[in-house]
Amino acid sequence: MKELREHAKELLEKGEVSAVIGYSQVSEKRTKPIIVTDPQDTDQLVFNEYCLNNLAVYLTKARIKVSCRTKDKTLKLAVTAKPCDVHSVVALIQENQIHREDIHIISFNCHGVAKDFGFEFSGDNIASKCINCETHKPLYFDKIFGEEKETPKASDDAMERIQEIERMSHQERFEFFKNEFDKCIKCYACRAVCPLCYCQRCITDKTIPRWIESSSHMRGNFAWNIVRAFHLSGRCTGCGECERACPVDIPLSLLNRRMAIKAKKSFSYVSGRSLETPTLVGSFNEKDNDELFM
Amino acid sequence: MDEKIILKDDLLRICGDVIDKGHILLCPVMNEYSIVKDFSRIKLDASALPAGTSFKCYVFPKTEPVLYYKRSKSDVQLIDVNIDRKNIVILGAKPCDANSLNIMKHLFNWDYSDEFFNLREKNFIIIGLMCSHYDEYCFCTSVDSSPVSEKGSDIFLIPVDENKFAMRIITEKGSEFISPYAEYLKTGDENISKQITENVKLPKVAFDSNEVYEWLGENFESPKWEGIGNLCLSCAKCAFVCPVCHCFDIVDEDYSYTEGRRMKNWDGCQFGNFTMHASGHNPRDIQSKRYRQRVNHKFRYYVDKFGEILCTGCGRCSRGCPVSIDIKEIVSNCKD
Ligand code: SF4
Ligand code: SF4
Ligand code: SF4
Ligand code: SF4
Ligand code: SF4
Repeated sequence: MKELREHAKELLEKGEVSAVIGYSQVSEKRTKPIIVTDPQDTDQLVFNEYCLNNLAVYLTKARIKVSCRTKDKTLKLAVTAKPCDVHSVVALIQENQIHREDIHIISFNCHGVAKDFGFEFSGDNIASKCINCETHKPLYFDKIFGEEKETPKASDDAMERIQEIERMSHQERFEFFKNEFDKCIKCYACRAVCPLCYCQRCITDKTIPRWIESSSHMRGNFAWNIVRAFHLSGRCTGCGECERACPVDIPLSLLNRRMAIKAKKSFSYVSGRSLETPTLVGSFNEKDNDELFM
Repeated sequence: MDEKIILKDDLLRICGDVIDKGHILLCPVMNEYSIVKDFSRIKLDASALPAGTSFKCYVFPKTEPVLYYKRSKSDVQLIDVNIDRKNIVILGAKPCDANSLNIMKHLFNWDYSDEFFNLREKNFIIIGLMCSHYDEYCFCTSVDSSPVSEKGSDIFLIPVDENKFAMRIITEKGSEFISPYAEYLKTGDENISKQITENVKLPKVAFDSNEVYEWLGENFESPKWEGIGNLCLSCAKCAFVCPVCHCFDIVDEDYSYTEGRRMKNWDGCQFGNFTMHASGHNPRDIQSKRYRQRVNHKFRYYVDKFGEILCTGCGRCSRGCPVSIDIKEIVSNCKD
């Protein structure tokens, strides 16, 4: 923690970055995002198993970007990112939303984060994405802290559910999602927390014509949730923020993860892993598998 | 005050009768108020935290048609909607939820009397349950309420032991509701329930709402809003889970060229396009202005208009905010 704070302080003092986006402790088992601009405040920064948020979501926010621009140069933004959050940063760079040289990535050797705030981090309270995490070390970083530790063992219940849904008939599957989407209240928290839902104007907000009914009845909810799943296919990095934010507990990651599995199987593509490869949806290869065309 | 003692089993018998009569029974189950048919799901747990969502959707649904229309070349025909008039009995409402309808009622009867809200509200029986546990987000005691407040309840329950409740009959409506079940009610002893409520641990009063009111009046341009606005992600989760947030949007949905319906949908002041004008101008163009609106509406504008704070202190918005923005903390620390 001390090194993290000193590093952040130095970045701000030397004027290398305009802000450090990081975590601060709220209570023993809860943190919250914090945007530090004053070197004095860097002593609030923490990193631990309760750093659930994916802070990459802030990198595309106009107000924060504007604050980086000084009269004669653009300062960098420093972001505290778990190795999996780095995937989101990479995806944003791949999609030309930010430039690598504008971002200073502070990352960690990570052994997982809690599923819920307020409960002890353990095999019973570990975020589902951490169970099969393959990148406990960040793929890209400018500074790395923390020691390597063992990740608590837990069973991958979400994967079991995905397989269970795959075994269902079309009708059963439809019913399953109907029951889930029925709960949606269209608060759009899933969209708000998603680093890759950065569109200035989301298709669901367009009114002339209105493509997606804004009412949260079954048709409107299906349209919204399916469009979001499609728009994130091959792009979702699996951070799980949408599911964590959803106030009515819709298991959104079942959809997103299933789409990610499909992208990997069909195109050997995993989102946000490499700055050298073009994005899946943004590139065309005539040898691409075309089974998926509708 | 009329105070009785009722056994839990007898209370459940009353529930059975409520359902037999074709009424809807709502109880906090898991993380929401749900329609209950199976009594084993009724917990009546005074130590539970407020459910993830309140029961507002039963009086002010997330989406509902307000009229249907048919169009021909020369004419538009409007067709009224039948509003469901079922009686709804809420068993085990948290004190912070029980008072929500009283607060919202002002808005829905301000310049226009909203039939949809009023009809449903009239058919609600709220059986409140004392609250014996709070967390870091609860602040009912800072907004003129408390875990033992009877405000908004027609009948109020206080757990005496595992199988018994003290029952206070608060309103005329409550007394009418319970009168057919007189056989289940035993004479209570006010001193016992009083002793219980007096011993309930209360969340610390976090702020003085009058001071917050004053501060808001003087600090419309405070730099604090910018700081919060940069962190807030502009979803409407806080508004949609709030028991008293009541903004809605009216949209027309065409089925075809000749038919359609007009919908009333939840809306939230944190959305960027909430105040977007047709011209493209947006008076609340950045998030800091929107968050400022949220706090002002709750602690100042509503007070000016209706003499009540638009907040029951349930803490849902903060407990659920994806970026842990805590409204209690913000208003408590407004002066620092
Ligand atoms: S998915 Fe991996 S990198 Fe991300 S929090 Fe879990 S263990 Fe850490
Ligand atoms: S869709 Fe959900 S899991 Fe995927 S990147 Fe967005 S917030 Fe994360
Ligand atoms: S967060 Fe959940 S309830 Fe809100 S819009 Fe997304 S799916 Fe619907
Ligand atoms: S305060 Fe939290 S819940 Fe409300 S709009 Fe902002 S991010 Fe969403
Ligand atoms: S503003 Fe927050 S604390 Fe107040 S009633 Fe609404 S959800 Fe509850």
